[in-house]
Amino acid sequence: MEYGYYPGCSLTGSAKKLDRGVRRICEKLGHSLTEIPDWNCCGALEYGDRNELLSISGENLRKARGMCKEIVVPCPACYKNLKDADPDRSFNILSPLELLNPGNLSQIGQKRDLKGKVFFPYYGCLLMRPEGSAIRNKNIMEDAISAFGGDIDGEKMRDRCCGGNQLFLNKWATEKLSNLILSRSRGTVVVFCPFCHMAMKTFAVGRKVIYLTDLLLYVMGENNSL
Amino acid sequence: MKEKDHEIVFKHTGYRREDFSVCVGCKICASVCTVNDLDIAVNPQELLLRLFLGQEIGKEDPLVRYCTSCYRCAGACPWKIRIPEVVRAVKESLGMEALFEKAFKKSLNIWGRVYEPFVVVMAAPDLLKGGYIKHMPKWMEYAGFHLPHKVKRLKPLNASEGLDPSEKGRS
Repeated sequence: MEYGYYPGCSLTGSAKKLDRGVRRICEKLGHSLTEIPDWNCCGALEYGDRNELLSISGENLRKARGMCKEIVVPCPACYKNLKDADPDRSFNILSPLELLNPGNLSQIGQKRDLKGKVFFPYYGCLLMRPEGSAIRNKNIMEDAISAFGGDIDGEKMRDRCCGGNQLFLNKWATEKLSNLILSRSRGTVVVFCPFCHMAMKTFAVGRKVIYLTDLLLYVMGENNSL
Repeated sequence: MKEKDHEIVFKHTGYRREDFSVCVGCKICASVCTVNDLDIAVNPQELLLRLFLGQEIGKEDPLVRYCTSCYRCAGACPWKIRIPEVVRAVKESLGMEALFEKAFKKSLNIWGRVYEPFVVVMAAPDLLKGGYIKHMPKWMEYAGFHLPHKVKRLKPLNASEGLDPSEKGRS
């Protein structure tokens, strides 16, 4: 399948790792990603004016028009904003998580397994809420981990808020919320959101925090360690 | 924020004053609110009620200061009111943006994208005060230094509705 690709600002900066992983996994699944030319920021969660936010996000959709019908958007904030900016669903906006399903996980070419390792799949807020701009398969991280033999823990904390939005405003608030999640889960934290990754990584002491793509690359034999 | 400023919030969120009259006071938003996990008692419903009644909203309101935009309230609300967006609009009309948020918007205005090194430099006074330096070693792996890339911002959405969008991408 051919998809348009909207990386968003963080995937060209602090979350380059996620960008590389998404591109590699899509390549392995036989999808080709074409970056939307000259895309701009989606506005994230910083705008109080909804119309302004939607017009900023909507510009990306207009740049994509005529080029593709389906756009892959890894960052959950961009994913939500682009979906909101397209109320009549003229585009099919997908998270890379929606390209994965239990059926096609075998296509990525498993070379290692995750036996004996414990993982905490953490989705965060914007992939799960609000209803209407959430991902369809809400168990895909669990499916992927258990398909490769890993153990899962912390199901109840998987969609709690890590406070990533407050990291540079009130650090103590993020620290408290992240520690609440970390204290009620075990094992390596598997995230998909760049902001959750940053917040969790900052406050996780003695715990590993990785992207789901890192995990899949490890299973594919391309990452040497988790 | 006085009553006359409430109109700005309604304009920014797309809600009308009477839309908040449907809020029946079930307080389910308060029961799921992430800010309550911080041991700060907040009640998003009270904010909606204040907007509906035209009462004053202060800068020290903990919900306005600490809302994490997690959308748990919006998901739980029987009327699906997008409370985080209301809070953001209140925050903006109160002029409560921190340096980080200002830097974010400024970067977007200059380059059309968020250029992280610029945001860090602009927000440095807050970051230095806030004790972020000790986390730097963990963040060093993020140091994605790339040159800023200027992106053309197109005309506002409504003004250019009639043009062929595929041509704008190429121009």
